[in-house]
Amino acid sequence: MAARQSILGRAGIVLALVVFVFAATGPIVWLLLSSVLQQQALTSIPPDLSPSSFTLANYLEVFSSAAQLGRAIINSLIVATFTTALAIILGAPAAYALARLEIKHAGTILLMVLAAQMFPAIVIAIPLFITASKLGLIDTKLLLILVYLSFNLPIVIWVLRGFFMGLPLGLERAARVDGASPLQTFLRIVLPISLPSLFAAAIFAFIEAWNEFFFALIMTRQTAQTVPLAISAFAGQYQTMFGQMMAAAAISVAPIILLTILLRNTILRGFADGMLKG
Amino acid sequence: MPSIELIDINKSYGAVHVCKGINLTIADREFVTLLGSSGCGKTTTLNMIAGLDDPTSGDILMDGRRVNDLEPVGRDVAMVFQNYALYPHMTVAGNMGFNLRLRNFSPAEIHERVGAAASALDLSHVLDRYPSQLSGGQQQRVAIGRAIVRHPKVFLFDEPFSNLDAALRNRMRAEVKELHLRLGVTSIFVTHDQEEALSISDRVAIMRNGSVEQFGTPEDVYADPETVEVARFIGTPQVEILECVIDRSNGSNTVLRCGSASLPITARQAVALGTRTEKVLVTIRPEYVTIGGQGTSATIRDVQPTGPSTLVKLGWEGSAIMARLNGIVRLTVGETAHFSIDPMQLMLFDNESGRRIKTKS
Ligand SMILES: Nc1ncnc2c1ncn2[C@@H]1O[C@H](COP(=O)(O)OP(=O)(O)O)[C@@H](O)[C@H]1O
Ligand SMILES: [Mg+2]
Repeated sequence: MAARQSILGRAGIVLALVVFVFAATGPIVWLLLSSVLQQQALTSIPPDLSPSSFTLANYLEVFSSAAQLGRAIINSLIVATFTTALAIILGAPAAYALARLEIKHAGTILLMVLAAQMFPAIVIAIPLFITASKLGLIDTKLLLILVYLSFNLPIVIWVLRGFFMGLPLGLERAARVDGASPLQTFLRIVLPISLPSLFAAAIFAFIEAWNEFFFALIMTRQTAQTVPLAISAFAGQYQTMFGQMMAAAAISVAPIILLTILLRNTILRGFADGMLKG
Repeated sequence: MPSIELIDINKSYGAVHVCKGINLTIADREFVTLLGSSGCGKTTTLNMIAGLDDPTSGDILMDGRRVNDLEPVGRDVAMVFQNYALYPHMTVAGNMGFNLRLRNFSPAEIHERVGAAASALDLSHVLDRYPSQLSGGQQQRVAIGRAIVRHPKVFLFDEPFSNLDAALRNRMRAEVKELHLRLGVTSIFVTHDQEEALSISDRVAIMRNGSVEQFGTPEDVYADPETVEVARFIGTPQVEILECVIDRSNGSNTVLRCGSASLPITARQAVALGTRTEKVLVTIRPEYVTIGGQGTSATIRDVQPTGPSTLVKLGWEGSAIMARLNGIVRLTVGETAHFSIDPMQLMLFDNESGRRIKTKS
């Protein structure tokens, strides 16, 4: 009886995992599939999956009009990398200070950090646009980095603060007895043992910056255009080039998927640490 | 000059009063143990001495100087933590040398000091390993090594052996004691294990509920406990506490009636009891109880052979007592035995306060 129950239980778990895997990979498979299908095959119902309707034409088209997408990818790489680096460099010390040091009004500071990103984007978009254009920052990567930092930094601070608070106190006490200042303790003890969690937070910030559409749409024109905008450009005024759009999208998610696969052990460890100890 | 003085130390976490007026004076080069059951405030007290925690009130003096506002490094204390707290991303050498590197010692000096500590602690062959590649005993020794390379003024140990098995614990005890004899550094050692405390210390401070119940040599706290709690806490096996009424009905010959048994007391004890009429708490160390011949009759409740001696629990209506007999003694549980005590060795305590009723000598 117990054995049968556990078999049923396992079947349930396996079923749930199968459903989850389909839900998670479905869109990506669909994305890849539609990027290699001809437009008619894709839009017919049901889609025509016969070998003759497969093509690499979409990718060739995208690459031949590549100037646009190429620049967008470089822009996105620069913006996402700098956003991520700054979010971690500024966020990690702030998170540690808020987690461990006796800081006056720490609660208020934390609430303000959180409040900064609670406003709906649409509410701050217009004043932000006006300010940015007065400063001459419209259509610059610097502006995008600053804007993305404003919502990535709070998340990084909150996530890492939770992680740091969950670290057992022993090592930091030992470092203090050894004569380390709070900064030395942070740099030489806490950071090295927190690398997996820092990686996880960094990946998160990178993806946020890489995928952001709304502010990029408002704050850029040509020079600082990012990948999501370049992809949307394939939705033309008269006709949407689905296949090319999908090919461009596939190219743009590739770095993130690659990054995630390469660093999956580190990321999993980071998230598990954050959850177990947080 | 005393090395360390705690003067009226109180510590509260919010509404929780953890340390209640602790006073301790620790001599230079002394090895002192804070002994008490879990949660009585030992770690909190040690952390305040280390400078990791601030007392809510009271002064901490080292070499006569108030150090309340000094960081641990300013107090020149080294500490060994209960779960070692080794830096997982540094090698053994890195762990031991970290505090020297922070103080900008030359690499040659660091190498020499770490090497010396490692060879004293039998760690020379694992200097390049990481903590996760060491056995529990080796990790423990690295933690001690990290403390001794500094040549500090005070060693603090917080239950350093509680994660080791019994054999290793005994060996580490001997090593720490030997280390103390060799280096002569004032040491404060926290443990909940009374045998460990008695075997290692010059003096033991027995803590209970955030207060120091008694502070004395191992011999003193065993043979001359000031409270019934100390008598109960120190010594293996734990003594039984008898509740007895004072019976003066037989003229000058006062006796204690403990349940159905009656125990003789000495004239001095009778004087110390004075005119009190309420119950008293009574106990006696098992080695002063003998079985055989005449004496009070009781039932054998339990027999525990320990090798060099045999422990026997004797019971009667309303009470029990432990006896320690030399060598192996074959007795049967449930049978009747007669025991007698050495009245000189009876320890009497006030029923209300638990304080010792002392005989004047
Ligand atoms: N940071 C803290 N906040 C609140 N209570 C604490 C804190 N540290 C210790 N305590 C409490 O103080 C008491 C004594 O703790 P501790 O000194 O660690 O005891 P011991 O080391 O003797 O086992 C315990 O009841 C514990 O719950
Ligand atoms: Mg403790």
